[in-house]
Amino acid sequence: MKHSQRNSRHRQYIVAYLLAALVMMYVSYSVPRWLPGDFVTAMYSSSHVTLNAEQEADLRAYYTQRQGFGRYLVDFFTLNWGYSYAFLTPISELIREALPWTLLLLGTAHLLSMVVGFLAGVEAAWRRGRVIEKAGVGSMTVLEGFPEIGTAVILLLVFALHLGWFPAAGGETAYVEQSFGRWALDVTHHLALPLLTLLLAYFPGNFLLTRGSMVMVLKEHFIETARAKGLPSLRIRYAHAARNALLPMVTRFGLRIAFMVTGALVVETIYAYPGLGTLLFNAIAMRDLPLIQGIVLLSSLMVLFVNLALEFVYGWIDPRVKHAS
Amino acid sequence: MMKRWMGLLLSILAVVFLFTRPMPAPAQIREIRIGDSKGDWGYPNPYRHYPRGPGYVRMSWVFDTLVWKGEKGYVPALADSWSYDPARMAFTFHLNPNAKWHDLQPLTARDVVFSIAYFKKHPYTWISVDDVGRVEAPETHTVVMYLSKPYSPFISDIGGTMPILPKHIWESVDNPAAYNDPKAFIGSGPYRFADFNKAQGTYLYEAFAEYYQGRPKADRLIYVRSGQPLVSLANRQIDLAGIQPDMAEPLRKKGLVVIKDERGWNKKLMINHQKAPFSDKRFRHALAFAIDRQEIIEKSHRGFAAPASYGLLSVDHEMYHPGTPTYPFNPERARALIESMGYGKGADGFYERSGQPLKVELLASNITVAGQSVADRDGEVIKMQLERVGIRVDLVNLEQATTDSRVKSWNFDLAVSGHGGVSGDPRILNEMISSQYGAGSVNSARYDADTELNGLLEAQMTEMDQNKRKEIVYKIQEVYAEELPAISLYYPDSMSAYDPEKGVAWYYTPGGISKGIPIPQNKMSLIK
Repeated sequence: MKHSQRNSRHRQYIVAYLLAALVMMYVSYSVPRWLPGDFVTAMYSSSHVTLNAEQEADLRAYYTQRQGFGRYLVDFFTLNWGYSYAFLTPISELIREALPWTLLLLGTAHLLSMVVGFLAGVEAAWRRGRVIEKAGVGSMTVLEGFPEIGTAVILLLVFALHLGWFPAAGGETAYVEQSFGRWALDVTHHLALPLLTLLLAYFPGNFLLTRGSMVMVLKEHFIETARAKGLPSLRIRYAHAARNALLPMVTRFGLRIAFMVTGALVVETIYAYPGLGTLLFNAIAMRDLPLIQGIVLLSSLMVLFVNLALEFVYGWIDPRVKHAS
Repeated sequence: MMKRWMGLLLSILAVVFLFTRPMPAPAQIREIRIGDSKGDWGYPNPYRHYPRGPGYVRMSWVFDTLVWKGEKGYVPALADSWSYDPARMAFTFHLNPNAKWHDLQPLTARDVVFSIAYFKKHPYTWISVDDVGRVEAPETHTVVMYLSKPYSPFISDIGGTMPILPKHIWESVDNPAAYNDPKAFIGSGPYRFADFNKAQGTYLYEAFAEYYQGRPKADRLIYVRSGQPLVSLANRQIDLAGIQPDMAEPLRKKGLVVIKDERGWNKKLMINHQKAPFSDKRFRHALAFAIDRQEIIEKSHRGFAAPASYGLLSVDHEMYHPGTPTYPFNPERARALIESMGYGKGADGFYERSGQPLKVELLASNITVAGQSVADRDGEVIKMQLERVGIRVDLVNLEQATTDSRVKSWNFDLAVSGHGGVSGDPRILNEMISSQYGAGSVNSARYDADTELNGLLEAQMTEMDQNKRKEIVYKIQEVYAEELPAISLYYPDSMSAYDPEKGVAWYYTPGGISKGIPIPQNKMSLIK
């Protein structure tokens, strides 16, 4: 493919993604407004404050000011994401505080489960038919069907309640003065159980997917050729077969990013882990429209960005994609 | 001989020394950690905390009120003493001369005068200062508040709920909701606000050493978000948290003290009394007779609840009327009442009239009790009970904000709801019955159809004599239970557990903190 053709295709990708981003921005602007109920009702329904008609009207007028989509776009690009009704704090500040925790938990869980799942899947497929492969496939199929909420509760009961090895809640021990090293250990200590829960949830799928793709690849003629040439088994396994089995895994990774915010909601809630999922959950419960819009938009854009990046990664991993018309 | 006398003298001196030296002061507690399932309740000042109990309590550590509710009723806070003069309709408060702001400025009567004026200009939804007329400061530490008309909940609503603001800080603030300067958190309470981490849902307070009631028992007070209080309490990662009643036994075995609240929160069935057939009192009575509250408690709450008074006020309230009408479970009576309205059973066993089936929609959702969302199956049990009588029920489970929104706009038939405050000041009756007081509340029946009831509600607000007020409140309960614009179902058990080894005895405040907050985090527990 000529260089100019490739550039034109890249441009098409980018234009398509920009259009998709605009649609997503409109969706994130309009959908939260369709939610029944409003901030005043949600905030005051379980309150010890009983509003009279006048107080209610004043509050409702204050919190339901309508902002047009054009203004919303301008504000977005000038990084003026507005104030959260509930926190009375800039949205960008709230997201900035919660995002690192989500990235730490979800990012680590995704990466670890992908790398370990991929390696285990490759090895299992290579040992197809042996006891270890059968046991692996069986146990992973069972684990794949096990809900995160169940795993989380069992891990909590065993490791936090009975053994007392790990804390039951939070991302760190609040308000303890300690050195950076001890703080890092403390964060890791708090991360252990939620991370393990997510690994147990994500790992089986990655393992089974890789194993399945790998089994198909291992039947290909080029693998037989490689074997016939007497190449070392490690090279056949990874340089020839595994590379071709990697593509579905990368696609899965991209799709999983879509669940970056909402995916860990259950786990974040059970372990009271600070993150965007918990922030979004509370924002929806309180009808905090500016905050809902901000988080939904951020997560949508993250999905778009990752998928755009993957378009290029595909070509790099598998040159056939690059040369496909 | 001399040696013997000297020995005796020394022995006597030693005994005298041992018995007369001052008792050692109780050891200062380094920190107290309180667990909370939600974590975030806003910033702890009057204009930035969430309008819910936990938000108010977080503010109450920083801002003191004139009086405060302790374990045995009202106790002095910023006001050492107070009195009411009916002839002048005036409350006089004598302030504690040692009271200081956290920036060490003295707290005087001028601050109290300023606070009332500021809340008139910038309303604080927790209190109403409408009935406070003139406020004077005849002396540095004396305040006189003249009422424009008698206001019986004054001590509860204003004396015991209104935070006093420092004049020297707030007099230059025009937009209090947007004011987020560190000075916005300078109060006169036992703790200084040090930090609120929004992502973690944690709060840090530090003891105010110059507090006028003495240095608080714990140097630091920390709130942490805890998804599983059972585990966190058992592992001593937190010292106090609200718990589900089922957790009580395992925690007791782990050495924690479990405390139970009085019955101050009631689950109730909201009725759309503005539309037929609910506008007919007979139908509302039929619903009450058809519902077996004990069955709801057994099936939906494993027995951890108690049937509520149909008169709304808690059975633990000092003004609870034991003669309030009741509706013991009686399906036959329910059927008779429905049939008296012209309904007859159809072929399918359900009631119908003129070919139209008697079908109602029941909204149910998880209700937030004391800051914790509690899942239950009340909707399913009530549906089953009403269908056993012959009323077809369409059960709709919705998320709470959606249910509230529909109830608020009268777009419902029946809805399972609930609220606290029923053991606090009887003003709650006005708020939960009359639209004049509770138009903005989703839990208020907003029932104005009975003129006698309306008159009684008005009268109890202006009756300053407690005994006479009690008579009126008795009558309100009678009429309300007879009219039955909403049905109080039960009081769920509300419990907390704490670690006694920390040296703090927590308790549920009778009548609830301030306006009836059912949380055992009374600041008096940390004051020596």
